[in-house]
Amino acid sequence: MTTTKTETILRRRDGSMTGSGRRAPRSWTDVALNVWGVLVLLFLFAPIIVIVIYSFNTGRLLVSFDGFGFDAFRTILDKPAVQSAVRVSLITAFISAIIATTLGTLAGIAMARHPGRWVWWFLGLLLLVSVTPEIVDAVALLPWFVTLGQDWGMPIFNDGYVRLSIGSSLFATAVVSYLVRARLVGQDANLEEASADLYATSFTTFRRVTLALAMPAVLAGFLLAFTLSLDNTIVAAFVQVSGTTPWPVYVLSAVRSGLRPEVAAVSTIMLALTLVALAVVAVVLKRAGDSATDIARTMGGA
Amino acid sequence: MPERPSTPKSLGGLLAVPAWVWLLVFFVAPVGMVVWFSFGYKPGVFGTHANDVLSFERYLEALSPTFFATFQNTLWVGLLGTALCFLIGAPVAYWMAFKVRADRRGLLIALVLIPFWTNFLIRTIGWQVILAPEGWLSTGLQSLGILGGPLDLLYSRTAVLIGVVYNYLPLMILPLFVAFDRVGPAVREASKDLGGGKVSTFLRVTLPLSRPGVVAGVLLVFIPLMGDYITATVLGGAKGNMVGQLVASQFQTAQNWALGSAMAVVLMLVIALSIGAAALVLWLIALPFRTRNRLVLGPSTGSGTGAGGGPSTGSGTGAGGGPSTGSGTGGGAAAELSEAAS
Repeated sequence: MTTTKTETILRRRDGSMTGSGRRAPRSWTDVALNVWGVLVLLFLFAPIIVIVIYSFNTGRLLVSFDGFGFDAFRTILDKPAVQSAVRVSLITAFISAIIATTLGTLAGIAMARHPGRWVWWFLGLLLLVSVTPEIVDAVALLPWFVTLGQDWGMPIFNDGYVRLSIGSSLFATAVVSYLVRARLVGQDANLEEASADLYATSFTTFRRVTLALAMPAVLAGFLLAFTLSLDNTIVAAFVQVSGTTPWPVYVLSAVRSGLRPEVAAVSTIMLALTLVALAVVAVVLKRAGDSATDIARTMGGA
Repeated sequence: MPERPSTPKSLGGLLAVPAWVWLLVFFVAPVGMVVWFSFGYKPGVFGTHANDVLSFERYLEALSPTFFATFQNTLWVGLLGTALCFLIGAPVAYWMAFKVRADRRGLLIALVLIPFWTNFLIRTIGWQVILAPEGWLSTGLQSLGILGGPLDLLYSRTAVLIGVVYNYLPLMILPLFVAFDRVGPAVREASKDLGGGKVSTFLRVTLPLSRPGVVAGVLLVFIPLMGDYITATVLGGAKGNMVGQLVASQFQTAQNWALGSAMAVVLMLVIALSIGAAALVLWLIALPFRTRNRLVLGPSTGSGTGAGGGPSTGSGTGAGGGPSTGSGTGGGAAAELSEAAS
């Protein structure tokens, strides 16, 4: 199960190639595809490279590059607003990832192991959550929180952290549910049955067999949920309360008032963190025996 | 899958209850409230919404000529952006699935994923830096003599189009790659052996077999693109004119929740209708081909329902790949092949 069809056959073919000698000359379509692929990858990386380079801009404004230096990174230390925005983002992303992972794991296990007509309804709901444009979620959650917090007397929903955590947990819950379900559907329930036959209680079976089987998807789901929540801009811009402005919303307001190099500096640091998170996910999935394709499917959130 | 007798059915399904409750309370209820608001009105300068008189007037207002132009523009950007994403992304996915050495694919997937998981807003700001009239692209093109004056792209519809194509491209490449990879080289080589050329192998074997991936990619790009707010704000400025911005401004600046809600509902309807229309058109186009090309091999292959959601996850990864593992795809492939042979 560790290799896909293509990989197995390609490997076999490569083996026979080395036996028979030189590779056939490449056709012009192959060359064109190679060039195109590299060009598109460059296109995908262009703005990211630009941001990383411009984080070393010593000028006053982000757009015009004055000189090379670490001023922007030093400025972060002097700006409590930036630090607080990043802190709010990290805290709410963590809370919302915990919520999404818990709810999504339970739901994914339920869908995979206890199928029935309800699964289709639930999948429909998850689909609806994931296809609804974020702007609709955002404009829906704002009046809803106002209604809950002010009209119905539940002051907890006036709290910035609570609002942000809930707002970014919705899509993340759907993603984790898909991941956990996909992982468990691919594996038989034999192990759980064996565990039950060996007189394990259903809770022990759940904890030591089902959850253990789902663990790679749960971990990947947690990290993806964390990254998604860290990214959450639109919903956050609507539901935030002044005083708990998350990082993307801070940046969005800076877009209007003038971007400064420290935005790029913080982004470069966050990019490094995202890379670490992604690498961890990839390693976890690889250890669990996923092929490159499986990883692509998992991380693409589909 | 048979029911397991060891745990009662009702108890297992209950594991999903927290997620049900969470999504009902924080997704279905708020969206329902938006739909409810859309039938109300803005009571005065200080009120945001009132629902004591219900009417469809906000919808008429949302479809008035000024707003209609924005809807038109959004649909145009959405359709063109999705088409461009497909045209740019499909060759890349094809390249990754068939032309790249197997041990390099993990790296390439990572390279596509990194931009996808980088902060959306930051990536878009990266484009703002690139496209700015005083940026390096502009000065570079001017010093090369390609441009007479500063680059005049930022805050235009073209800039928004570049931005959305860039931002949603990974969402097209990944599902297409997965779909192409599932096709595998076996049936493609078979097609070649049976005399199919490059183009006919792609059009008659690879593309039909990867239809679920194509559908997934198009939907994954088109839907968020239509609701886009960030790209249009950062790269389009005041002239960005996407519905997302319009909805946002009704809630944030105009404080007219009733009209904003109606616009949000219209946006969702437009998305649903255009997907429905596209599905209908594709179905009509495919109809003559289906009746001509499809050869049903025996009664067991489920009468050629290849479109139904694709094979279940991860089951078709066995190296055999015959009709026994993925019966839907395998059957379809066999049918296409025997057609290619005749």
